Amino acid sequence: MPSALRADGITVKFGGVVAVNDVSLDVEQGKILGLIGPNGAGKTTLFNALTGFVTPQAGRIYLHGKEITRLPPYMRTRVGIGRTFQTERPFEELTLLENVLVAAFLKEPKRKKAERLAMDVLEKVGLADRYDQPALDLNLARRRRLELAKALAVQPSVLFLDEMMAGLNPPALKGMIGFVRQLTDQNLTIVMVEHIMEAIIALSDHVIVMANGSVITEGLPGDVIEDPRVITAYLGED
Amino acid sequence: MKKHYIIFAGLVLMGIFYPQMFPGYLSVAITLLLYAGWATAWDILGGWAGQVSLGHASFVGLGAYFVAVGTSHYEIAPWWTVLMVLFAASLVAYLWGRLTFKLKGPYFTLSTIAIAEIFRLIAINEGWLTGGATGVFIMTLPEPFGLDLFSRQVNYYLALAFAAITVLVVMLISRSKFGYQLRAVREDEDSAMASGINPTTVKLKAFMLSGALTALGGGIYAIFLSFIEPHIIFYLLLSVQIALTAIIGGRGTIWGPCIGALLVVGSGEIFRTTFAEANMLIYGLLIMVVVIFMPRGIVGEPARYLIRRVYAKRAQS
Ligand SMILES: Nc1ncnc2c1ncn2[C@@H]1O[C@H](COP(=O)(O)OP(=O)(O)OP(=O)(O)O)[C@@H](O)[C@H]1O
Ligand SMILES: [Mg+2]
Repeated sequence: MPSALRADGITVKFGGVVAVNDVSLDVEQGKILGLIGPNGAGKTTLFNALTGFVTPQAGRIYLHGKEITRLPPYMRTRVGIGRTFQTERPFEELTLLENVLVAAFLKEPKRKKAERLAMDVLEKVGLADRYDQPALDLNLARRRRLELAKALAVQPSVLFLDEMMAGLNPPALKGMIGFVRQLTDQNLTIVMVEHIMEAIIALSDHVIVMANGSVITEGLPGDVIEDPRVITAYLGED
Repeated sequence: MKKHYIIFAGLVLMGIFYPQMFPGYLSVAITLLLYAGWATAWDILGGWAGQVSLGHASFVGLGAYFVAVGTSHYEIAPWWTVLMVLFAASLVAYLWGRLTFKLKGPYFTLSTIAIAEIFRLIAINEGWLTGGATGVFIMTLPEPFGLDLFSRQVNYYLALAFAAITVLVVMLISRSKFGYQLRAVREDEDSAMASGINPTTVKLKAFMLSGALTALGGGIYAIFLSFIEPHIIFYLLLSVQIALTAIIGGRGTIWGPCIGALLVVGSGEIFRTTFAEANMLIYGLLIMVVVIFMPRGIVGEPARYLIRRVYAKRAQS
């Protein structure tokens, strides 16, 4: 399988803080990479570096073999990257349909077709019946699904999901896991940050564990969570 | 959306017959139409794209000066100078935006005041170009098809056409891809980028369109006044009035700026005659009341209330 996303030696510093330290990764097309680590490990910052929202001090990023290190975020979206934000960022004054429409316009400049695409995506994430509701009043689970719909409507080839499952109740969590798995059946490549181990184990083909900005170990999900270094990283040294 | 076009057609039709019905009230109607057009044009940038400008008098001034200086110094017909200023204003807006769109929110707004002040100083000091502080008279105008461009009737129809064009442009934008890009950038630039939108490009386009349309109204304003002074036409007060008209009516709505113009120009007229000295005070109070109690404006606030009530009901059932 060809590599969909590759990153070599990504380093991000904020002033004196090294938020991401020399992290490399490689994801095959159609696979799911899980990214775990305690709070403040640098997962979101790595995400932002890969999607273009922060500029890394060092490292290179390739999408389907083409270097994208210098592209601004909106250009990365245009070449195939979709992302959600850890704290959801809907366009609050717009309706759900309009929120998704904004993204759908990227690949479908004609309003009728873009609207159909947006409606299809809302259908997929189970929000179609509320299409004309303003995004402002949604509850958490629905905001998450809207965030996912926006990311999907740009029709990405690599999808970045930042803690989509956090705070969901068990049925909603189960629904979301099923949904994400189904996405890879359509050859979508996924990088996901997640604290919920159940989701990581159920979904990931490969797991990278970060702590204090660095990769401490990586491998198959089952092996990684047994790793004593991972347990120490989560529970603390003492 | 269809209902907007019906309202639009109705209003334009009423507008066409207005001079026959109220021939004595043409000047106030012209002022109203110009403000409606300016506020609507301002709103493309200020409301739809969310970039509040307090420098739009610059574009009024550009339009007015192109037309006035064009006819009085160079004998260029107003339709040519208007075409020229559409281009010039777009260029000015482009450069202006390039320079200032790095600034966000109130910082952008402050920068527009500063740049507009530069235009005012140029108009006052570069007399060879602008006629300086004394201003420019329009003495003669060509008479296309035998029309007297100085007549109030003709001024009125020009102002009506201007207001109609701006509203039509906004109606077309509001449903288009560009319209949604504007809203997205206003709501959240990062989220817009995640949807593949370049916020700077979108804001530049909005500024160019907004500036060009405002300048078009400025050209008509010059013909209406037939004498323009830099102190009035490039003044901050005019920028503030244009912005307030849109804000009071409702930013980012199709009819808000027009309703704002009706209120601001209409009440200005009534208060001036009824309250004489106190009129500025009452005018100020009115603006405060609207801004405090209806932050989304007269059109925006009830629309929002209605939408939310419908959903509150649906959620309960
Ligand atoms: N914009 C910023 N400026 C300065 N420091 C930052 C910035 N963003 C993140 N950091 C710091 O970088 C480190 C990594 O943060 P990051 O948000 O990437 O962690 P995370 O792994 O996503 O954590 P969480 O699980 O809590 O979401 C933290 O120490 C954080 O304080
Ligand atoms: Mg995070």
